[in-house]
Amino acid sequence: MKKKVIVACGGAVATSTIAANHIVDLCKKNGIDVDICQIRISEIQSNLDNCKLIVTTSKVRRDYGVPLITGMPFISGIGVDKTEKAILDVLKD
Amino acid sequence: MWQALANGINYIINMGASVMLPIVIAILSICVGVKPGKAIRSGLMIGVGFVGLSLIVTMMNSELGPAAQAMSERFGLNLSVVDVGWPGASPMTWASSIATVAIPIAIGVNIIMLLFKWTKTVNIDIWNIWHMTFTGAIAYAVTGNFWIGILGVVVHAAFTYKLGDLWAPLMADYFDLDGITVPHGTSAYMAPIACLVDAIIDKIPGLNKIDFSMDTLQEKVGVFAEPVIIGFILGAGIGFLAGYDVTMALQLGVKMSAVMVLMPKIVKCIMDGLLPLSERAKEVMNSKFGDSEFYIGLDPAILLGDSQVVTAGLIFIPITLLIAVLVPGNRVLPFGDLATIGFFIAIAVAVCKGNLFRTLISGIAIMWSTIWIANETIPWVTKLAQTTGSITDNSLVAAMDQGGSPITYIFTQLFTMQNVPGLLVVGIGYAICMVFAVRCSKQRAAELALKREQEEEY
Repeated sequence: MKKKVIVACGGAVATSTIAANHIVDLCKKNGIDVDICQIRISEIQSNLDNCKLIVTTSKVRRDYGVPLITGMPFISGIGVDKTEKAILDVLKD
Repeated sequence: MWQALANGINYIINMGASVMLPIVIAILSICVGVKPGKAIRSGLMIGVGFVGLSLIVTMMNSELGPAAQAMSERFGLNLSVVDVGWPGASPMTWASSIATVAIPIAIGVNIIMLLFKWTKTVNIDIWNIWHMTFTGAIAYAVTGNFWIGILGVVVHAAFTYKLGDLWAPLMADYFDLDGITVPHGTSAYMAPIACLVDAIIDKIPGLNKIDFSMDTLQEKVGVFAEPVIIGFILGAGIGFLAGYDVTMALQLGVKMSAVMVLMPKIVKCIMDGLLPLSERAKEVMNSKFGDSEFYIGLDPAILLGDSQVVTAGLIFIPITLLIAVLVPGNRVLPFGDLATIGFFIAIAVAVCKGNLFRTLISGIAIMWSTIWIANETIPWVTKLAQTTGSITDNSLVAAMDQGGSPITYIFTQLFTMQNVPGLLVVGIGYAICMVFAVRCSKQRAAELALKREQEEEY
């Protein structure tokens, strides 16, 4: 079954697109089937059904009851490996 | 030979933005090492974004425009020109012929400033080069002089990188973003106004003690904070105020929901197309200037998760509408930017250290000046929209995000002198704000250094 990943940023246009493309490539390489849901941060609450992981490009302190990883490294290019590993750890099992 | 080349370039420019920019982006992408197939796809995605945008802006204007006009007439208001917001303004800018050279120019200005140590900001946020391009595109559309347009991009780019340096201490201090800054159109140029307001409040006994925050507002309002709901309420509300019957008002509501939801999806196509170029630029800039002595310039979207920014963004939806009614002579109906007011005030929140009271006062000053300038620039933005084919009828458009920018306004006024008193007021006012911005940046850098020292002692 496809795993739903929410990728969110302020306007659902710029930074979330960068992060989403990165995650799709990463999962393809690791044989994980993902369904990306690219939205604004204000829309996360309404899209939580069946969601396995949330990646936001800014720091979000709210708890949605779903693992949340900050995808800022995909934007800045610093610390990408660590973030990739964290994402795979959540999605692999 | 040169004549043939010039003819060829003219031929391509005359085909319009939806054909020209895909070709330019595809060629640029191939030049930086993207595979031809992928490069062509990128180019076409940008064309798709333009076509989609023209559809949606036309619909928005033909539906919301008359309703806003009818509402204004009934209540003696003036708000008849719809704000297309950054989702509308950015594609128009990319569609301008200035945009074909803007990306290399903006990066070039950055590299030159870095080499001469005029800035420490390494901007890898290619998407938001549209803000710098906008100043050039507007100046070009209004003056008809291509070189003034190019100068606009250069001036705005240089100014933005300096703002990046200025805000870096605040990023580290308030947002915990070390070595990162946001050299961005909206938040960065709006924050100096907050510095002035913050300094004034500091001096007023009583007011300088007020501090409150509301972390939970977002959870309380829930789905009402979502663009789809905001669009509906606004559309239906304006419909009713315009004297429409229930059917027509609800139809307008659903259509405006559609605009709010579809707009970012369409604009995302343009971002998709820019991605291969943007990734390459990021690699190059990071490998050349990636040390710790530089600040990496990112998109302000990274600030929009902060709870105070989110809260303020929500409170400012009604406040902005109210300000639009109150600004004398204003014709701009805020719409396209309403769901992302956070972009205007994100750095102002850091200037006020998360103090919501001060953020509100600063924000009111920011939105007031934005709406006033956006109202002044209606003819310019409309002209840009017409020359890029984003609107095809005779309607007027406005854009708060970037159409309300003091930098764009001052630069273009300098070359047109259409409103000299306006130029003087905005120019002098903004210069005073900049003095306080520099002071604020130095103070926060000093505070930060002190904090670091104390931490090391423990």
